[in-house]
Amino acid sequence: MLLSKSIKARLIATVVISQALLAAGLLFAGVFYTHRRLVATLDAALQSRAMSVAALVRYTEDASGNLYFDDSLMPRSLDPAHPDLFEVWTERSGLLTRSSNWPAGLEISAGPDHHWNLTWDRVPYRVTRVSHVPVLDREEGQSFRPQALTIVYAAPLIRVQEQVRAAGVFIALASLILLGATFLLALYGIRQGLLPLQRLAEQAALVSARNWELRLPADTEETAELRPLIQSMITMLARLERSYVQQREFMGNAAHELKTPVAVLKSTLQSLLHRPRSSEEYRAGVQEALEDLERLERLLQWMLRLARAEQWAHGALRRDLDLIDINATCEEAVERIHNLAQSHHTRIHLATNGKVLFRADPEDLQLVWQNLLENAVRYSPEGGVVEVAVTRKDGGPARIMFEDHGVGIPPEDLPHVFERFYRGDPSRTRATGGFGLGLAIAKALVEAYGGTITAENAPRQGTRMTVELPLNRSN
Amino acid sequence: MRVLIVEDEPRLAENIARSLRESAGYAVDVAADGQEGLFLAESNTYDVVLLDLMLPQMDGMQLLTRIRQAGQVTPVLVLTARDEKESVVALLNAGADDYLTKPFDLGELLARTKALIRRGKGQPSPVLTIGDLQLNTVNRTVQRSDRTILLTAMEYRVLEYLAHRPGAVVSKTELLEHLYDYNWEKFSNVIEVYISGLRRKLDDGSDRQLIHTVRGQGYILQD
Repeated sequence: MLLSKSIKARLIATVVISQALLAAGLLFAGVFYTHRRLVATLDAALQSRAMSVAALVRYTEDASGNLYFDDSLMPRSLDPAHPDLFEVWTERSGLLTRSSNWPAGLEISAGPDHHWNLTWDRVPYRVTRVSHVPVLDREEGQSFRPQALTIVYAAPLIRVQEQVRAAGVFIALASLILLGATFLLALYGIRQGLLPLQRLAEQAALVSARNWELRLPADTEETAELRPLIQSMITMLARLERSYVQQREFMGNAAHELKTPVAVLKSTLQSLLHRPRSSEEYRAGVQEALEDLERLERLLQWMLRLARAEQWAHGALRRDLDLIDINATCEEAVERIHNLAQSHHTRIHLATNGKVLFRADPEDLQLVWQNLLENAVRYSPEGGVVEVAVTRKDGGPARIMFEDHGVGIPPEDLPHVFERFYRGDPSRTRATGGFGLGLAIAKALVEAYGGTITAENAPRQGTRMTVELPLNRSN
Repeated sequence: MRVLIVEDEPRLAENIARSLRESAGYAVDVAADGQEGLFLAESNTYDVVLLDLMLPQMDGMQLLTRIRQAGQVTPVLVLTARDEKESVVALLNAGADDYLTKPFDLGELLARTKALIRRGKGQPSPVLTIGDLQLNTVNRTVQRSDRTILLTAMEYRVLEYLAHRPGAVVSKTELLEHLYDYNWEKFSNVIEVYISGLRRKLDDGSDRQLIHTVRGQGYILQD
C-alpha cells in the first residue's frame, strides 16, 4: 500500500482522519443541540398560543353557562406560510371549536398535558395539549359553575427543520474549511519536521571509502528522534572504517612483503643471465634462485595460514571439535620446535600439572604454541631457557605462559606485536627469518576459541606471552 | 666509479653488487642497515648511492635527509617496494634523484645508475668526447681518431673517471677513493702504473698528449 510506505503520507492521513472525525462529531452535536433548543422554544410558543386561544372562549350572555369561541380576535399563525392548527374542548359539551384548516379525520384523544411530534398526511407537527384551563370571561355574581377547557395547539415543524438544516450546513462548511486549513498546515509542519531526516540521508550519501565522516547540521544532530539512529550510524561507520583500513593495510603490507622476495629472485636470475657463465656458475645460480623461491613460498604459506586463521576466527568455518588435552598439544609443539631450539642452543622447559581438557582442533593449538615458541626461541640468548607453563584455576580459564630471557620488547612496540607484518626492529626478524606473521596467526586462532593473548616484558628480563582459554565454554 | 648500496636483504644487495661490478666495472660497497649506510656515506665519497627504504636502525628516508643536510651532492637512487604517488613525491622532495620500484629489472637499474653518475658530473651524453678521444660508457669502448683502443678493466675505470671530469685536476687519492671499494688496501703507486699504461695506449701514434700530470696535485684529462 502506498500510504504505509511514506511517513509523511501516514502522518498527514492520521491528522486528516482525526480532524474529519472531530468535524463529524461537531456536526452531529451542533445539529442535535440546535434541534433541541428550537423545539423547546417552539414548545413554549405553542403553550402561550394555547393560552391565547383559551382567552378567546366566552360565556354566552344568557347566563346559561354555555360557551362560544370568538375567533374575530384570533392572532396570526407563528409561520404564516404554514398555518397552525388548534381545537378547544369543554368539560360539559366536548369539542367547542376547531381551526378551519384542521385536517379531516385527525382526532386527538384526551390525555395529560404533553408536547409531542405528530405526522399527518406527511406533514410533521409539534403538538401541545393544555388542560384544566379556566374560562377567563367571568363576571361577579354568576350562578352557574365555571367550566375548564382543554386546548390542543399544533404547528408544522417545517421551519424548525429548515433552521436545523441551515445550522448543519453552516457547521459542515466551516468544518470543511478548517479541515482544508489543517491539511495544509499539517503538510507544511510535517515537511519541516522531516527535513532533518532528509538532511541525514543527504549526508549519509556522501559517506564513502574516501570520506568516512558523517557531517550533520546542528538541527539534525539535535533532533531527539534521530539521535539513536545517528549514534548507531556513527558507531557503524567507525567500525567499517576500522576494518576497511585494516584490510587496506593488509593488502598494502602483503604486496610490500611479497615484492622483496620477488625482487631477490628476479635479480638473481637476471644477474645469472648477464653474461655467459660456466656450468658450475649456472648450477650455483639456479640453486640460489631455488632458495629465493623457497623463501617466497614460505611467505605465501604463512599468509594463507593467517588468512585461514582469520576466516576461522570470523566464524566462517564450523567444525565438530573433540575434547583434547592442552598439555599434549604443548608437548607436540615442543617436539616440533626441537630442531630450531637445538640450533639456537636453547632449552625448552615445559611445566604442566594434570590434564587440562579443552574443545579444539589440536592442529590449531599446536600452531599457536609453535608460533609462540619459535618467537621465544629466536629472541633467546645462546644457551638460554624458554619456559612454558600450563596452569588452570578452578572455574577460571586455562593459562599457558611462554617466557624467554632475551632482550625483551621495547615498550612502544608491545601494543603492536600481534599486528600483521609488524616488526619492531626489522633487522632482528630479517636475521631470524620471521615474516612478522606468526604472532598475528596465534592471536587470530586464540580469539577464534574465545581466548585472549597478551605480551608483556617478563619481570626480570625477556618477554612473556600469556594465552588464556575459557574452559567453561568448551566443557 | 664507486657505488654504495644500502639494502638489508643480503641476497638482493649481493645480486645488485655483482651486476654493477661485472657489467659496469664499478667498485661497490654494501651496507646492511641505515647506521652502517650513513657511516659509509659520510666517510667515503661515492659517485652514486642506491638506497633501500625499509631499513633496520635508520630508515632510508632518514638517511637520505641526513646526508642531504650534511651537504652531500652524491646522486641517490631509491629502491622502494611502495609505489604510491605520495611516497614517491616525498622521496623526491627529500632529495632523492630517481627511484625504482621492486621488483625491478637489473638492466634498468644499471642504466639509471649510469645516467645518475653522468648527470652528477655534468655529462649528459653517454659518449664522452675529449678532443679526438671518444669513450662510450654504455658498451665500455674507447676510440681515438677512429682507432679502437683496448684497455684492461682497471685502465678503463681510471680513464672513465677522468673523462667524466675533463679539464679538472684529479688527485691520486680521489682516484683511489672512487675506484676501489671499502675492502681494498689502497696503494697510490698502483694509480701511477695505470696512468702510464693508459698514456702508452692512448698517445701511441699521436702527437698530442691527453693525460697531463700536475706535479704534486694529480692528473688532468684534456685536449
